[in-house]
Amino acid sequence: MGTLDGKVACVTGGTRGIGLAVARAFLAEGAKVVINGRDPVKGQKSIDDLNAGGRVHFIAGDVTKREDCEAIVNGTVAKFGRIDILVPNAGGGGDPGPVVDMTDEAMEVPMVWNFWHTFWTMRAALKHMIPQGSGRIMAMSSVEGKMGKPMVSGYVASKHAINGLVKSTAQEVGTMGITVNALCPGAIETDVMMAQGPGAAQAMGLTYEGLLDLFAQESAIKRINECEDVALVAVLLASDAGAGITGSMISIDGGTSPY
Amino acid sequence: MGKLDGKIACITGGTRSIGRAMADAFLAEGATVVVNGRDAAKGQICLDEMNAGARAAFFAGDSSKQSVVEGLIDFTIEKFGRLDICCLNSGGVLNTAPIAQMSDEEWNLEIDWNLNHVFWGMRRALQHMIPRESGRIIVTSSVEGKLGKPGIPGYVATKHAVNGLVKSAAQEVGTLGITVNAILPGIIETDIVRDTGPASAVAMGLGTYENLIAAFCSESAIKRPNKVEEVAAVAVMMASDAARNMTGCLFPVDGGSLSY
Repeated sequence: MGTLDGKVACVTGGTRGIGLAVARAFLAEGAKVVINGRDPVKGQKSIDDLNAGGRVHFIAGDVTKREDCEAIVNGTVAKFGRIDILVPNAGGGGDPGPVVDMTDEAMEVPMVWNFWHTFWTMRAALKHMIPQGSGRIMAMSSVEGKMGKPMVSGYVASKHAINGLVKSTAQEVGTMGITVNALCPGAIETDVMMAQGPGAAQAMGLTYEGLLDLFAQESAIKRINECEDVALVAVLLASDAGAGITGSMISIDGGTSPY
Repeated sequence: MGKLDGKIACITGGTRSIGRAMADAFLAEGATVVVNGRDAAKGQICLDEMNAGARAAFFAGDSSKQSVVEGLIDFTIEKFGRLDICCLNSGGVLNTAPIAQMSDEEWNLEIDWNLNHVFWGMRRALQHMIPRESGRIIVTSSVEGKLGKPGIPGYVATKHAVNGLVKSAAQEVGTLGITVNAILPGIIETDIVRDTGPASAVAMGLGTYENLIAAFCSESAIKRPNKVEEVAAVAVMMASDAARNMTGCLFPVDGGSLSY
């Protein structure tokens, strides 16, 4: 018997990295899970990897598009009859660089990918959760939702914005059996990090290894985090025991953030 | 198979309320638990209720005393061979008052009970855990560790202080396989809150116990007090091997009362 038996979850960006680890942990606790990603080939590979039969389903979609965000949430309800848990997890950065020379697009990319996608999926999910009087939303923020680093202002701003959205939404639905929290992981070597880290590092005057080491040295554990660290907290918040935890920005950063 | 199979835990203030919920949850996950409390009779009732045989023990004493806090840790190690999880949980106020009316006796009691007890316990536990390069320290802080309220200055100051202590300790032992975290519950109707809440309500200018509970609830998003089981679930997670990368964390269980 799992702590999420019978629950239906939707994880954006669920084919790799943190999202895949969260999906795997939810499945292990008995939930049904929809994972999303852009690429149906990668989606099928992840479905095979998760090996959970009819309890896992892939919905292709680009979370930087509102229609896709809404289709992912509504598709979850269409497939499994309801949505109990939403994890808007997909995200990443734009072209790194200093604010003074930044293009509008470099700011827009992370704001849409991280913040607007979280808003679009959250809004769509609340339309189902409010009438059913229950739900759990765990938005993927970051240690950069609490702190700041140079050259990645778009990422930092979008993650701070997610934290603000979480706090307001938690107050709106706090008496309706719905909790809304932000997960704030430290650096994790996901596919997105491996793809975008080198560019961000270069803008900061570091090597990729130097960037990961910078994150590690800022922590108490002196190593970067792992996807499973995030999944552990996601399962707790999704469970019945998480009913009294809302509006929180949970640090999963090995002791980096001071608050 | 439990998440804490074979682990040895001790809990200050473990016979009732939050500490007791932690003890019950740890036992359910396979741990061995030593609970502490002032009253030997309550300790026996607690052991009877937990019904965990040789996996549970009671250590009598007042956790605002250094000898008792250190004694609990030494007793646990002596009886069960080691200490994996140290929960520094007890605390509260007795006759709180606004600063202008605060007595030295009350102030010193709150410093000893809420802050020094955590330091004494943490120091003793770390002396044991550092050579073993393994351990979990879980401190019961409070939303008042981040916020302030009138009439409970000692409680607010000591809970802020333990949050600082947790952050420093986490940095000191972060590479030694030891995590140090705080849980920050919102208002919970524990025995201690029921006992001292009426006096605190007067000191805070709220009049009655009911008004005090209502005032805390109104500041939350869920508009209800929290539950001891909600705190215990977080403690189990922090105590588990899987949480090896969570440290220095101030984890709110407050129904959305804190803004940071």
